Amino acid sequence: MTAPAIGEARRRNQPLRVPIVILVAVLIITAVTICAVLGERIAPDSPFVQRLGVGDTLPSPAHIAGTDLLGRDVLSRVIYGARTALVGPVVVAAGAFAIATLLGLLSGYLGGLVDSVITRWVDFMLALPAPLVAIVVVGVMGGGYWTAVLVLVVLFIAPDTRIVRSAVLEQRPRPYIDAARSLGISKRRILFVHILPNIAPIILAYAVLDFGFALVNLAGLSFLGLGVEPGTPDWGRMLFENRNILFSNPVALLLPAGMIILTAVSMNLIGDWLLERFAK
Amino acid sequence: MNTAVGRTYREGPLLEVKGLTISHGAIPITTSVDIVLKRGETIAIVGESGSGKSLTARAIAGILPPGMSATGAVTLDGIPLMRVSESELRKIRGFRVSMLMQDPFTMLNPLMLAGDHIDEMLRHRPEFASRAARAEEVKRRLAEVGIVDEDVARRLPFQLSGGMCQRVALAAALARDPELLIADEPSTALDVTTQAEIIKLLRRVQRERHMGLILITHNLRLAFSTCQRIYVLYAGSILELGDAAAVESQPFHPYTLGLLLSEPPVDLRVPRLPAIRGSVPRAGDVASSCAFADRCDWVKEICRTGKPPLAAREASRFTACIRQHEIQGELDALRTAAVLAAPPITRPHGETAGALVRVDLLAKTFAAKRRRPIYAVKSVSLHVMPGESVGLVGESGSGKTTLGRCLVGLETPTAGKILVNGIAAEDFGAMTKVDRALVRRTIQMVFQDPYSTLNPRHSVGRALGEALQACAGATSAATPERIASLLEEVGLSPAYAMRRPATLSGGERQRVAIARALAVKPAILVCDEPVSALDVSVQAQVLNLFRRLQVERELSYLFISHDLAVVRQITERIYVLYLGEIVEEGPTERVIENPHHPYTRRLVESIPRSALPRPPCPGDIRT
Repeated sequence: MTAPAIGEARRRNQPLRVPIVILVAVLIITAVTICAVLGERIAPDSPFVQRLGVGDTLPSPAHIAGTDLLGRDVLSRVIYGARTALVGPVVVAAGAFAIATLLGLLSGYLGGLVDSVITRWVDFMLALPAPLVAIVVVGVMGGGYWTAVLVLVVLFIAPDTRIVRSAVLEQRPRPYIDAARSLGISKRRILFVHILPNIAPIILAYAVLDFGFALVNLAGLSFLGLGVEPGTPDWGRMLFENRNILFSNPVALLLPAGMIILTAVSMNLIGDWLLERFAK
Repeated sequence: MNTAVGRTYREGPLLEVKGLTISHGAIPITTSVDIVLKRGETIAIVGESGSGKSLTARAIAGILPPGMSATGAVTLDGIPLMRVSESELRKIRGFRVSMLMQDPFTMLNPLMLAGDHIDEMLRHRPEFASRAARAEEVKRRLAEVGIVDEDVARRLPFQLSGGMCQRVALAAALARDPELLIADEPSTALDVTTQAEIIKLLRRVQRERHMGLILITHNLRLAFSTCQRIYVLYAGSILELGDAAAVESQPFHPYTLGLLLSEPPVDLRVPRLPAIRGSVPRAGDVASSCAFADRCDWVKEICRTGKPPLAAREASRFTACIRQHEIQGELDALRTAAVLAAPPITRPHGETAGALVRVDLLAKTFAAKRRRPIYAVKSVSLHVMPGESVGLVGESGSGKTTLGRCLVGLETPTAGKILVNGIAAEDFGAMTKVDRALVRRTIQMVFQDPYSTLNPRHSVGRALGEALQACAGATSAATPERIASLLEEVGLSPAYAMRRPATLSGGERQRVAIARALAVKPAILVCDEPVSALDVSVQAQVLNLFRRLQVERELSYLFISHDLAVVRQITERIYVLYLGEIVEEGPTERVIENPHHPYTRRLVESIPRSALPRPPCPGDIRT
């Protein structure tokens, strides 16, 4: 009897307090976003200009992060690489959840045959070894960044549908849904006006988590040569290209690797925090 | 069994709590609470939700939830409980102080056999070193709490009923023969008839063991009928304290009086329940004035100049009302006036032609996979006449909620007929669109839980606007004026339209829920326990609202409740539902005063009554 009163009091009295780790994570994501949007203005050099005579060099005042095997400026390539690092995962997270939300709402609210069909399909998808499927399918289709993104969207739909469905099942027995039903409000309106806003925090939090997974997966595919085209500045691709110069210019390998880890971890931390703070 | 054996007693009280102040971070929960308990004495701490009564109990036992801290002094038999170490406390909890909690199901470990809960408490004693000796003792302990079926010890909590679980929990709490038992709402989660049994058991055990008992409850009737002294806790401070009988017959604080008056009596129908306006404030908001000032009819400037201390008025009577001596005459007058009865509503009985709602041989079975199907409702027939208020009474599992849900189309009955305004309405899916809209505009529902009855993401205005436009027959748009008039009808100001449900109190939410149901101008409301989750003072406000609406709008009610006292105030005729079947039907007065069916009799008898005789009243219209 006392517990809810305290919970409410806490929420009302305490201003939104953001832990420092989350602030740092948000700063990192902001920095990556700025790089993605303003790449041309920020990058000290062109990421494409090759200086075959120079080859791979260690960091120097001219090239802060050194150059790669083809003499291209590593720092500029990392800054340009923020684009593929952001755009793909955002499309994956948004696309997968757009479809998963629809499927989850239908399956959770309607139940019956619709629910059975959707749930069985989800079970089937979850039984597949996702990374392997991604490699095989993208490989067969001839690779390419957007192909990889599309395959990831399809693979992410299944687990996301499950999350949305369980959130819907939690709302469905609540009296406010019963009240709407007994007023004769249409199913579509109950789904999108009543249930959706109440599960939106959960969807948002898991979408942020999806971003992190998609980033790592896309980088992995690029590393295997199944993602971006050769020459494109991309963090995963850079790992592949620069793996042989680990000892002559380690920065060319470690910087993109570090960026992948930092960005993915930051997004995961933000997602976890959102989930903890708003979705429970 | 006698706890006195082998223990030497100190002089003085068993428990002394001085200046107990509990806070959650910077937010105060209670402010300087003093409690004294003599050996073998029973006291009750009564208060509405948010008064801090449960946390006070937990602070005494030293088990505050994380984030809470307490200052002050708790002395048990000379031991300063708040200053001894956790390992010392462990030797006191269970041995000298035990707790019994509200929810019997979560209090027992779901993976432990019932008997093992008691067994565990006995292991420290050398005489129970052998398994056989312990098993024998467990049997004896269970017998003490009225469980003679030896099988019970070998069952898991989920295989037992709520009452059984509470008995096992009580036996476990008593296994180390504590001198003090703190029972926190021990019967609230149980059915009415089981409640009475558990309370009777608790009293018997307390008397036999000469044990101190602190009963924490929101139920005044229960507190007065069970305990010797009463502490009235409100927003974290004690407002009144005294002997139960004295406090009940002549309360010294306006809040206590308000509580007593707003509790619906079971033995008569009052013209109007005197409700306390507003709702319980938070302790932090009333730190420097009388906690009750904002809701008090006798408030004066002096009440807000500082927190009035609990002061002695008579031998063993204390009140925190500084104006008590001035207003006592008025309080007494109100106390006596409260026993006036309203004339029972009489209506030609037996007439069923032209019924607004008629249910014929309705049955609802829930099919369960690989288990026996659940027969929630078995061949129930009832009717509600236009303008009539009908009660549907029963305990949990009687099928009363399922029946209500069938009426508004939330469940489709397995068999039987429902006629709403002459339209067959047993299967909403099979009805024509016009008929369905017509039925929905005739019958609406108010739900039990005020906290989830409103969509937390929609403002009050949006919820009402949607309801106004919901029915196909809605001709005009949901204008702010129509929303405002709906709000006014349930006693809320138009400003509430902007508010979110999270900022409303339970009573306000329930008012909004009623307004939403009224939006389509229904002829009948199905009310499923609409006041059972509300505090007593707020419950009275909402009941008065229901009664006013019945007169003003000529509404009919199907009022579903387990609480006979509430039903008595609001209905003219009742059906008693037991295991999915109607066992008794008749005018409310007759059924409660002269129940025919044994089950109805048990229901009526299980309501706690105070020993206090009602003063004869010349204005009693019943005679």
